[in-house]
Order: sequence, then C-alpha cells, then structure tokens
Amino acid sequence: MTAGRLRMAIPKGSLFEGSLRVLRAADVEIGALADPGRLLIVDTDEIRFIIGKPTDIPAYVAYGAADVAIAGADVLAEAALDVAELADLRFGACRFVVAEREGSSAEIADSYRRLGVVRVATKYPRITEAYFADRGVQVEIVKLHGNIELAPLIGLADQVVDITATGTTLRDNHLRIVDEVMASSARFVANPVAVRIDSQRVMDLAGRLARAAGEVE
Amino acid sequence: MTAAASAVFAGYGFRFVETPAVEEYHTLEAGAGASWENSAFRMVDLDGSLLALRPEMTLPIARLAASRLGDQPGPQRLCYAADVYREQASLRGEARQFTQVGVELLGANGPSSDAEVVCVLVDVLAAVGLRKFTVGMGTVAVLRALIEAAGAGDAWAAELLAAAHARNLVAFDRLACADGVEPAVGEALRRVVRIGGSREAIGECRRVADAVGCAGSLDALESTWELIEAAGVADRVRVDFGILRSFDYYTGLIVEAYAPGLGLPLGGGGRYDDVLASFGAPMPAAGFALSLERVMIALAAQDVAIPVRGLDAVVGGEPEQVARTAARLRAAGWTVRMSASRDVATLDAEAVSAGASWRVLAGQGQAVSADGRVLVLDPVPALPAEGGAR
Repeated sequence: MTAGRLRMAIPKGSLFEGSLRVLRAADVEIGALADPGRLLIVDTDEIRFIIGKPTDIPAYVAYGAADVAIAGADVLAEAALDVAELADLRFGACRFVVAEREGSSAEIADSYRRLGVVRVATKYPRITEAYFADRGVQVEIVKLHGNIELAPLIGLADQVVDITATGTTLRDNHLRIVDEVMASSARFVANPVAVRIDSQRVMDLAGRLARAAGEVE
Repeated sequence: MTAAASAVFAGYGFRFVETPAVEEYHTLEAGAGASWENSAFRMVDLDGSLLALRPEMTLPIARLAASRLGDQPGPQRLCYAADVYREQASLRGEARQFTQVGVELLGANGPSSDAEVVCVLVDVLAAVGLRKFTVGMGTVAVLRALIEAAGAGDAWAAELLAAAHARNLVAFDRLACADGVEPAVGEALRRVVRIGGSREAIGECRRVADAVGCAGSLDALESTWELIEAAGVADRVRVDFGILRSFDYYTGLIVEAYAPGLGLPLGGGGRYDDVLASFGAPMPAAGFALSLERVMIALAAQDVAIPVRGLDAVVGGEPEQVARTAARLRAAGWTVRMSASRDVATLDAEAVSAGASWRVLAGQGQAVSADGRVLVLDPVPALPAEGGAR
C-alpha cells in the first residue's frame, strides 16, 4: 500500500549535516533540503522532508505526522514514545554520563549517607530516573533546559546527567565523569504502523541508509 | 458498527458471551503471568481477595470456557463486544475504559482454525466500512525455535523478545550478535524479523530458518495461507515475521490489524494453546480483539461516515392523535419523535432542527417534506428511499 510521498522528519541542529551526508550516500534525492533556508517542509519526487526540533521528532513519528525520521537515540529514550528503531546511522555519537564537581565525591557520599537522596540536574529526567532506579539510589531530579554543567558549580545539584561528545565542556568546568549511562547516535526510526503497511519503502530505505552509514563511517 | 461486526461473527457461527467486569486477579496472573501487573486496575473485596477490572476478554472467556463449557462437544465459537479497563500512560488521551470486539475459537487447532480467525478479522474490518486496512500475520514459533537454538539463556531471550516487540532493530541486532549466541542462528534471527510479504515471504523464511534447522512450524503457516487464499481474502493479508504481541501466552499464529492514518494497531490476537490448561481444561484456542475506539478513529481518518439512522418524522397535533399516529408509523418501521406543536410553522421548524425528513400533523393522514413533497399515510408506506437515508 503506497500513497504519495514518504514523509520523513529531519532534525535541525547538530544532526542536520550528518543526516544530509547519510541521505546523499544512500542515493536519496534530497533536492532543496541541502539548503532549506527558512523552509520547514521540502518536497522531492519521492519524499516530503519535514524539518523539526530534535526533541520533537519522536512525537512526529509516534503520532504518524511523519512516517519515518532520523533522530538521536538520546531523545528517543527520553521521549519513550512508541516508534520502531530500524537502523543505527552511527553519526552524531555521544555519551550520556553522570558527572560531579572535581573533589566532591566524599562530600556527596557523606550527604547521601545522611539524607538518603542525591540531587541531580539534567535535561533528561526520564533517562536519569531510570538510571538511578536501576541502582536503587533515591534521586531528586532538577530539570534544566541548558548549561547543565553549571548546576554543581552553583550548588544547585550534587551531580548532573548530560550528554557529551568529547568531554571538553565538562573538563573545562572542572566536572569529573563518574559513570556512563548510555551511548547515543543517530537512528533511523519509523512509525510502527508505517513499518507494517508501507513495509517495502520503509524497510528498503532502512537498508540503504544502514549500508550508507557503514560506508560514510 | 458493533452491529456490522456481530453480523460477521454470526455468519461464521460465533455466539455472544458476557462475563463479569470484575475478575479474580489470580485468573489474570494464571493465564498471562505478569503481563497485566502494570495496567490492570486492582481492588480488594471484603474477604481480602484481590480482584481486577478485566483488562481484556481472552482470559475471562478462557476461564468461563474452562469452568462451564469444558464438557461441551466440539469446538466453541464465542464472540463478544465488551468494555475493558486499563491503566494508560498519561497524556496519550487513551481512555481507561474502552470497548473491544472480538472472537475466541476454542477447542480447535491447525491451519483451518488459524485461517478462520484471520478471515473473520478481515471480514469484520471490511464490514465496518474500512476502505484501507492490512492484516499482518506471523508466527511466534519460528522466533521461539531460533531463540532455543541460540542457547544464550533466558535473560538474553527476554531482552531479545522485548527488543523485537518494541521493533527496536538496532538493539535486536546487537543482541543477536552478542557473545554466546550461535553465530549462524544470530544471523538467521536478524534476517527473519525483517521478512515480510505475501506467500513468497514464507518461502524466504523457510530458507533462512531451515539452514539452522528451525523451520518446522512453517508448514502450518503455509497451509493457513492457502486457506486464506481459497477464502479470497489473501490480498488483505501480509505475512510478517517481525510481529510480536505484548502477551507472552501466544504459541503460534499472531495477527495484527493496521489502518493508514492511525499510528497504532487496530487490534490483534493469535493462538494461545496453553492458556486453558492453566484453568484446568487443556484445549487449543485462538482469537483476536479489536479496539472499537481505534476503528472509529481510522474510519474518521478515511472519511468514512458512520451510518446513523436519522429521524424520519416529527409528529405534532392533538396529543391523543399524535400518540395514535406515531404508534402506526413506528409499527411500519419509521423513527418518529412526538411533538407538542400544533401548528404547521412550528412543526416545520422543529422537523428541520431535528433533521427529520418529514413532518406529520396528526389526523391529516399525510406527511410533508421540507421541499413540499407529500406522502399519503393511509396505509402507512414503508419509507421511500429519500425519506430514510440521509
């Protein structure tokens, strides 16, 4: 069952260039997507590209506004929506880490002993909660929207859970990585029903992108 | 819509059953393990027993069949349209009470009963008016056999099934390549969950699974496909070895229904041959359930109007005559609303606002439509086409 263009959501921001590279390598015609200017919707013969905020992409796909998309594993895990993850596109690699102020370990351990709770600042409350719940640690989560590394420095939180590619920002702010939560990279995802009823196009594209991702790397 | 589904069920010889809304919680646990732990509403009665509002109909019907129909001869064909209750994730706008319609075919196994379940599902979706839909059909047996052959332990198997169920192929591939997994089996796993199509997909799966000696269950699926073809519904059905349902009680056939415009399956089901044994009456069984609300959303997305019988006439005039005339019209099959209006002008206005095709001033012996057509009511005619269908 094929009906019109396949609708594909593309994240703007840090994953945008990588998405274009993989699409080109997979011989997907991207047309004006190469330089969309202020356009948010770009049509080619085969595909309607929808350019969205990275954290909103899982919602586009889960609710069927887009059939398929490229999205970071981090935002997928945080959104916890029902989408099918079909291929690892390998670019945009980063790690989720737990970090704290250098030299604050003893202090944190002591306060945890007395209070039984750790305060953690993050942009990703769901992932953070799951990580600490796995370890049986009671955690108070402070949801922030940016500059997470500031939180331990100004006494807002004991630790942070944040993503990092190289660890430079953390190091520059005198934060020390204490544990790794998960690794993330860009994924090709699809609406679970689109996978079933438009299987040919969706799975074919997944295969091409996965192969292209292997070559680009 | 329930009526359209009921007609299809009746056409296959299924009979309606009702079960209590409240079940003993251990009934759910006995049949489905921990599947309902996080979504069934539970409560405690005065004796301290743990009860649950039924979150689905398969287990209550299995319990009913095991305890009350066990000694009846032959397969039982049971169907239902019932409210079920589930805790839902917040913000998704899914009701905690919704309606399921479905069938259970108890005491029969093999391709013919599998095919019957698939055919009923296809016929119901067509009968409710869906123009576009697909029924996905697969089997858990191949995946189970491969997992067995991989020999990598229960924890690994549970993780792999969870990844397959979430359709997270990235995690699935990683697990299939994990240490301790027989490499050939891992490769077969990776290929099998991606196989889909019509009949040729079964052959493809057979080639992949045969290489590691796990293709035993595919003969049954192939026969099922032949029967579905014979019944003339194969163009609506797609074989898909990646389908997994959230309950672990399925033992063979798996079905799921999809419609474009709805990001969730309309419903699904499969074969669950071991469930009735946990209620003391071992017998094979298969069935499916559809969410009525999701079907309605899919119909709306396809611009299919849900046929609603409109009002045929508004009857006004002297109360006694109104009562008499309205009764005559109803006896002839009209839908009639009685009114206290006695003059033609208010009656006309009322008929328009009620969407009625005709207005009748009782005692005049005629019905008049908004555009001035006149229908003589002696004797009362069965409705003319333009009167009833709006």
